[in-house]
Amino acid sequence: MKSFRCLCFLGWFATAAAQAAPSDYVEDYDTLYNNLTVEKTGSVVELRARSRAGEYLESAVDLADPLRLVVPYTRTLFAAGFLQAEPKNVLMIGLGGAGFHRVFVHAFPDARLQSVELDPKVFELCRTRLDFKPTAKTPVAVMDGRLFVKRNREQWDWLILDAFRGGFVPPHLKTQEFYRECAARVSERGVFVTNLHQDTALYAADLKTIQSVFPQVVLFETKGRGNIVVCAVKYRSPDMGVAANWAALEKGNSKLAARIDLSALADERIAIPTEAVAKAQVLTDDFSPVEFLDASKANNTKKR
Amino acid sequence: MPLVFFYVLVVLLGILSMGFQLLASRLLNPYFGSSLIVWAWLISTFLAAFSIGSMLGGWISNAPAAQRERAQWITGALAVASLAFTAFFGRVVLGQIEVAFTELTTGLLVACLGLFFLPVTMLACFGPQCVQYLASRGTPPGKASGLVYGVSTLGNIAGVMLTAFVLIPHLPVSTLLYLWLGVALVNLSCLIFLLRSSSFVSSP
Repeated sequence: MKSFRCLCFLGWFATAAAQAAPSDYVEDYDTLYNNLTVEKTGSVVELRARSRAGEYLESAVDLADPLRLVVPYTRTLFAAGFLQAEPKNVLMIGLGGAGFHRVFVHAFPDARLQSVELDPKVFELCRTRLDFKPTAKTPVAVMDGRLFVKRNREQWDWLILDAFRGGFVPPHLKTQEFYRECAARVSERGVFVTNLHQDTALYAADLKTIQSVFPQVVLFETKGRGNIVVCAVKYRSPDMGVAANWAALEKGNSKLAARIDLSALADERIAIPTEAVAKAQVLTDDFSPVEFLDASKANNTKKR
Repeated sequence: MPLVFFYVLVVLLGILSMGFQLLASRLLNPYFGSSLIVWAWLISTFLAAFSIGSMLGGWISNAPAAQRERAQWITGALAVASLAFTAFFGRVVLGQIEVAFTELTTGLLVACLGLFFLPVTMLACFGPQCVQYLASRGTPPGKASGLVYGVSTLGNIAGVMLTAFVLIPHLPVSTLLYLWLGVALVNLSCLIFLLRSSSFVSSP
């Protein structure tokens, strides 16, 4: 009986020790643009930004399995592959914790993935806490995303816009003029990708603005999270609204298929909310009340 | 002229100055982003304009009558003309600056000085003259100064809140710049008329 109690105690102690491993930590940083929290629990490191609605999960990485996409919408970003299956040159505006980057480099080892991040501290934490190691194929520029798009003259096969500052969306990255600048940098058969939140008035205005620049827009919804990944292209033909015209990504990229259920991803495609979009207003540099349209936004990416 | 009308003009002066700062940030964003660097340059430009405008206004308020009157017309005209320049050519100029100066801080310095410094300096000129106006009507100088800057700062707050929460969400920035131009034209005309009508004497 005594030895049984002893075993129970040892079992409890081992469980408690495992729950609060000595390597776990919570760190807070006040940066130039954000109030950030980095929390390590077990092998998962989360990068969160404080915002109006509490803490907003910017990114998370499982250090034990860096190819596991911890934040669900980052998986949905790979829907871009249905429209352009062989990206050689990719631009991502908004680095976060670079969770997306690790799977991308694994699935497309020959491609170059350029990132742009406004907050130098985010880049530093990404390297020191989230174990991201930039290489010649994954360079990072620390500057405003719009300035980068204007000044860099390269063509991108995927141009991904995923720039948030906590829950806040920079207004100058939501206008028709900016989307035109992006369209000018997307290659002829390339795809523009952006992550939107659907439970806000900004969503319809954003879609309408994107549609005013790109002739074809396809939407994918990260189920239960509120994230909508928009894929837009510059060409009119073939009709990318028809799934039969999509690239056979599952057969073409076994490495990606091994990490992501691509048929489930294809099923995440949703229709454009035409009624709401018809009522919405196109956002321009002259008129973009983004903060107000976005005011009712809930935190969509907090849960894992 | 009832004093309340004078205070309305002072409040409007405050609204014009600080509301313009928010419009300026919206003008700059597409060309230079919305980073801390942009805000640092913008705020510094406005503070420099307030500083130089106040000193210039102090000098004008103590100048001989004829010289003072001429200076009031010149500063008023410059304020309106520079606001008109920003309203009509602001975006074109910013586009040119963006191409000409690839270095962010240099571009921002040129943009802030070229588009925002002059109108705010000229608006700020009228603060000390309003103090002098009140003092000439028998208000002790210290009290006059406190009243004008207190009321003007209330106008600053109203300018920021009105612009941020009412105007920018409902109207395009270009329309708001034309509105600023119109209000400045009326406000400064009335103020110059009011300051001229008073018979305050310059100090030695």
